[in-house]
Amino acid sequence: MQQIQKQIKYLKCKSISKRSLPINSQELQLPNLVNNQSHPLEQPSQVLLVKLGYSLIFRVASGEMLGPNQPVILHLIDLPFAMAALNGVVMEIQDCAFPLVQGIVATDNQSVGFKDVNYALMVGAKPRGPGMERGDLLKDNGKIFTETGKYINDHASRDIKVVVVGNPCNTNCLILANQIKDIPKENFTAMTRLDHNRAQHQLADKLGVHTSDIRKIAIFGNHSPTMVPYIDQMTAKNHKATVDQQWVTQTFIPTVQQRGAEIIKARKLSSAASAGNAAMNHITTWVNGTAEGDYTSMAIPSDGSYGVPKGLIFSFPVTVKNGKYSIVQGLPISPFYQGLLDKTIKELVDERNAVDHLLK
Amino acid sequence: MEVQQTLTVCVTGAAGQIAYSFIPLLLSGQVFGQVKINLRLLDIPKMETALKGVVMEIEDCAYPLIGDIQTGSNPKELFKNCDLIVFLGGFPRLPGMERKDLLQKNANIFKEQGEALQEVGKDDVKCVVVANPANTNCLILSRYATKIPRQNFTCLTRLDQNRAYAQVALALNKPLNSLKNIIIWGNHSTTQYPSIEHATADGQSFVLPDQGQFIERIQKRGAEVLNARGNSSVFSAANAVKDHIKDWFNGREDTLLSLGVLSNGEYGVQSGLCFSYPIRCLGAFKYEIVGNLELSDFSKQKLKVTEEELIQEQGLAESI
Repeated sequence: MQQIQKQIKYLKCKSISKRSLPINSQELQLPNLVNNQSHPLEQPSQVLLVKLGYSLIFRVASGEMLGPNQPVILHLIDLPFAMAALNGVVMEIQDCAFPLVQGIVATDNQSVGFKDVNYALMVGAKPRGPGMERGDLLKDNGKIFTETGKYINDHASRDIKVVVVGNPCNTNCLILANQIKDIPKENFTAMTRLDHNRAQHQLADKLGVHTSDIRKIAIFGNHSPTMVPYIDQMTAKNHKATVDQQWVTQTFIPTVQQRGAEIIKARKLSSAASAGNAAMNHITTWVNGTAEGDYTSMAIPSDGSYGVPKGLIFSFPVTVKNGKYSIVQGLPISPFYQGLLDKTIKELVDERNAVDHLLK
Repeated sequence: MEVQQTLTVCVTGAAGQIAYSFIPLLLSGQVFGQVKINLRLLDIPKMETALKGVVMEIEDCAYPLIGDIQTGSNPKELFKNCDLIVFLGGFPRLPGMERKDLLQKNANIFKEQGEALQEVGKDDVKCVVVANPANTNCLILSRYATKIPRQNFTCLTRLDQNRAYAQVALALNKPLNSLKNIIIWGNHSTTQYPSIEHATADGQSFVLPDQGQFIERIQKRGAEVLNARGNSSVFSAANAVKDHIKDWFNGREDTLLSLGVLSNGEYGVQSGLCFSYPIRCLGAFKYEIVGNLELSDFSKQKLKVTEEELIQEQGLAESI
């Protein structure tokens, strides 16, 4: 039997309900769980059910994220009225008979849910409803992520690694990280790996190679239509590769930017599987490191590189080693790319201003 | 890492929920190791657009092990050159539908697919039937694809097995990997017999505080999950499909496993029925039915009940 490393706890803060609820003070007993005490929430929150977390939980539980020798304890948080459905998910996890799952914490109490957590994949957020302004979206998510930030600061493991997936993820991460006093700020990131993977596929398809043959591309900026897919240094099968600029501006960039909407149109559901996959990739790369001669994309607190205002949560090309990421410096930024960078910087600054009241 | 071989795998019902969860597992490398997978995704014409969405997402996952992808609604096209076919697609049970109708609608589907296999399938293609009624669908499939060896046809009872392991682990408060040889016998239905008769925990046989309750819970677990989630067991099913294929392909030395396979009369079960048995997986998709276990009268009785149901199902299905 191979060496089992220390137990790692996970968190998936995934679900959020459609209805605004009164405080539910019911004690919820969940059978067959490690911890099954729950307490009433202090404040009501308005939240929305996002199915993104479902397949992700199971892939993580199967050992795909941290490897076949790393036992895990799963932490699943949801609201009181959703406990029955969450219990159904717990039953299914049990029914998978995963050898690596050493415990499941399913609760509506965030202080229990975040306790000692080492990895948090924050897939839940309030999505944009019809007629909703971006400002409203930011405001509503601001409340959720402020609260979550406090719970993480007070209860999570001091080495927690966090990836915010729920949109607007960069600014949600900013709000969350703003609550953190006792954990290094660089542990709080947002996800642009999905855009990175999407870009990788589009380029591979165009060049007639496998996705794994495409290296040295990166996503700069906001996870939004202003994202910048940077391909200036791209290699295919380790040789410098170029594609024509017209295809880049007219096909490639719009395709990557609109891919999410295209999938919703075809599936009538959001791209849960590929988003969950990217969230997993993000953490796995953060833990295991990037391949030699390649980089990945992570939205991280800016240190001022590439003229990006300090503190913005901004996607950069990074290499990762020993659990730490470093921005790839000195990549040539043409006027074309500078124009795109300026746009995405401005958008993130505007978003930050819109939530200024939440940032002390 | 250099990828050594390629397998071509077809998934039917590819736009459905179980496929959505199963495909990432298939492409993760957990089943076949560093083997490239060519995907053939089959579903009904109505699902063509949704299927395109599924393909887009597969692309967006940038899997290192993905080969080429084809989609379509014609099994005679998609079954060509397949090494493995995973039959997730079937006619769902609609409200008000009689079991008889369900059986017959599915029998038609599996007859057509069996005929396609017979016409274009590789001689040695492996089949996993998941769509319910899984055992009888598997039987029908095999009846129409006679060129393919009997032992290549299997149906899924691994979900029931995994559920049984989980319940035993909870009841005994023991880790999963201390348990061996918990077997699901018979039909993947409420007549299945989850047996601990030959099981061990840390090498010792054991009894459960309430065996009757254990059996009933496993038999009805699908409904239990449905009631709680408001949706059927999707991911645990997909995970079980992954386990079934993985162990069938790689072999398992440490424990017997439950797979639905075509009976040769073992344990007095009518030959030709697709029956879940204790199986020793030998690797390279080879297995043997362990046919010599001592069975208590209690167990024999349980086997009879589930066999009866399968005989009835066969009668109804074959009346098409």
